[in-house]
Amino acid sequence: MSLPLLPTGVVGSYSMPGWLERLKTEYILRRISRLELDEIHDTAVKAAIKDQEVAGVDIITDGELRRDNLIDYFAERLPGVQIDRASKKFYYDFYESSVRGRMPVAALGIVPDFKFLAANTDRAAKFCVTGPHSLVKRIRNEFYKSEEEFALDIARVMNLELKELVRAGLKYLQIDEPYYSGFPEDLPWGVKTINTLVEGVDARITLHICYGNRYGKPTWAGNYQYLFPAILDAKVHQLSLEFARRGGEDLDLFKEFSGRFEIGVGVIDVKDHEVETPDLVAERIRKAAASVPAEKLFVLPDCGCLHLPQSVAFAKLQSMVRGAQIVRKELKG
Amino acid sequence: MILHINHVQPGRSESTSGVVATLLSLLEAGDIDPNTLGHLNVHIDWLQYKSNFREPVSTRRVLKDDELLPLSEIAVDLRQIQPDALRRSLSEALNGAGPDSLETPKRVYLEDFTPTRSSIIWTFNAIFWKYLPIWEDASGKGYEKALPSGQSDGHNIQAITDSVQEFWEQLHSIEAKKLLPPEIYILEIGVGTGERARRFLDGFKALDQEKGTGYYPKLRFLAGDYSKATLHRVMESLVDHRDMATFVEVDAVDPFKALSHLRYKVMLITLSNVYDNLPTDELVLRDGKLFFVEVRAYVAATEVARICEKYQIPVSDFEKSVHKLLEQGPEKFDTLQQGVGFWMELWDAVRLEERLVSAHNLQEAHLPNAVKPSHIEGLIEAAPANMRFQLSSGATESFANTIPLLHPKGCLQVQDIFVERLNDYLHGFRGPGKMDGSIVNWVNGAFLAEVGKQAGYDVHFKPFKYRKGSKTTILYTTQRE
Repeated sequence: MSLPLLPTGVVGSYSMPGWLERLKTEYILRRISRLELDEIHDTAVKAAIKDQEVAGVDIITDGELRRDNLIDYFAERLPGVQIDRASKKFYYDFYESSVRGRMPVAALGIVPDFKFLAANTDRAAKFCVTGPHSLVKRIRNEFYKSEEEFALDIARVMNLELKELVRAGLKYLQIDEPYYSGFPEDLPWGVKTINTLVEGVDARITLHICYGNRYGKPTWAGNYQYLFPAILDAKVHQLSLEFARRGGEDLDLFKEFSGRFEIGVGVIDVKDHEVETPDLVAERIRKAAASVPAEKLFVLPDCGCLHLPQSVAFAKLQSMVRGAQIVRKELKG
Repeated sequence: MILHINHVQPGRSESTSGVVATLLSLLEAGDIDPNTLGHLNVHIDWLQYKSNFREPVSTRRVLKDDELLPLSEIAVDLRQIQPDALRRSLSEALNGAGPDSLETPKRVYLEDFTPTRSSIIWTFNAIFWKYLPIWEDASGKGYEKALPSGQSDGHNIQAITDSVQEFWEQLHSIEAKKLLPPEIYILEIGVGTGERARRFLDGFKALDQEKGTGYYPKLRFLAGDYSKATLHRVMESLVDHRDMATFVEVDAVDPFKALSHLRYKVMLITLSNVYDNLPTDELVLRDGKLFFVEVRAYVAATEVARICEKYQIPVSDFEKSVHKLLEQGPEKFDTLQQGVGFWMELWDAVRLEERLVSAHNLQEAHLPNAVKPSHIEGLIEAAPANMRFQLSSGATESFANTIPLLHPKGCLQVQDIFVERLNDYLHGFRGPGKMDGSIVNWVNGAFLAEVGKQAGYDVHFKPFKYRKGSKTTILYTTQRE
């Protein structure tokens, strides 16, 4: 499946409908069954896929609509992680979770979710996982000597699952590490765990690093200077970064290393409900192309569209696609 | 008949039992229509504010789909009621409470029934702030003297000193993580005289120099107020900090509108005694059913005659004079003395007639922008089945339009009178009252906390510990992780 110049995609999540939020919470409160929730998820995911296709997006995800948040989808599946089911009342809250012994190796069981995505689109499909650094910031560690040791063990367990995903046909994998920006001092071991996580995983791998998107707003502030030089050791193909909201000032940081990574440039501000015009998107892409060769650019939102209303998310994706088309035309003369 | 003893002051049990005994005696004497009695709720209150919008005994009718229901309420204020007038007042009220009784004591209405937030009383409130110096000259005392402590808690020196220390510590912890931004924004909304801002900046500069941390030169202080005149006054107060200060016209209800370029950038936002003076609606739960409160302002005809005679205004010109006052100010009367005198006595005489309008659900409520009914459904479901509470419409709107300005590690501090739990509405009167020429309302903190939570913020309250007996609370809002 070949991609055009300046391929477009989403960063994992798509708009979470209000009705789905309510139903997820109903499930947490034991008012609907798992079977019913699974059927609801299937329907919602199909709709999210369809929206992305109609908007013209090249690389599709399942909108992450099966997930409650960044953490719990994995915390519930990681072997050896204990969950306090009574600890959350609203679906978006985090479960209280902890690890009290060495994590055994076992399947996480996320492959069927990827297969569902792949079966429902003819386009390139991307699957996203939360990275070990972010997971150790939320799962209470009562066993390992350090966060680094804990994260490396998560990476070791998840690595097998990623290989299973590849066996199931996965070509595009994304790892989300939004907590890097809040804990820049962790970056050297954070990168080490990424490399453990992706060892032998034969896919195009993107590392997504933003400034947080919890409740649709940033959790941290700053610039990407902190990524260097540690990030250069990351064995990934692409960095997906947040530029639309913050302005593209630190795009220059990547000029020097433009051959090292593809850059997934954020051209849609997902923390603002105002829909960008295609011209504005095109301007942002041109700005990125001044620092990174166009053939190494992917066109993306800053982060997931989870907190945007569906109509806004859809309109933003349409603008993103049209903006990419404008620049493509210019580049082809 | 159902009797609700809402708020009773210690030592007033005798007058409470007096109300009950008088009601029974009226019943015995056949002075109460039995058809009215079956649908009657009698509320016994103690109004905290000596100056307020209620009669000693008032009647509230209930409206559903434009039809008056048999259900009605009588409210008795134990603070205002005189024992010798009790029987007559109750009898009059009860006889006006039935669905077919439309007669009310002679009143001159200043508006039609309207949700409280849009009542004409808020125009009175606005002109008070607009012509504050004129009111202060006429009353012979500054506004702060009207406050319970004779001064604003916002100016308390120890409170400001502690706030400076907390802010410095906040910056220090952010710097330890190497996340301190190059420019540190502070915003004060409703900056008043600028006294608090000056003391805060003086204190911060001194502490920063003592610690040698170099934060002060990075500060960008935004003084926000809706009044240009106020901002000019504040410029003088902040002359020692002029290099870092900016003066911005800001609508307290929508600060984001003027400051959207600072989205997620402001490290500290403070407001003192702003929320309690913003328009609000009230909701009533009766047996778990929802009602909106609508009001219409009036002045008793006897008061109209008295005020007009005193200020040599023909009674036929009364309403015209009210509108002149509200639209053009007291200076447009024959003399300033006449204008201000008319204003002060008129305001003192303004009362609110209330009615309860039945609502099917919260969708019908005028909720602040950014608040969905689903945000507060749970809160209301968990509330007691019989309760009256403020929606704090203006405060909530202000809150929802302020938090997007907060830096991810920033803090919003609001010093005001908050009702922290919905259940607290069962104990004590929460407004509206009159404070000089302005309106005062407690703020529904429980509601704000819920709105904050749904938007991803932690909201907690701390008592204002710097003045004994103070009812002020400090609300802290920080981003939830």
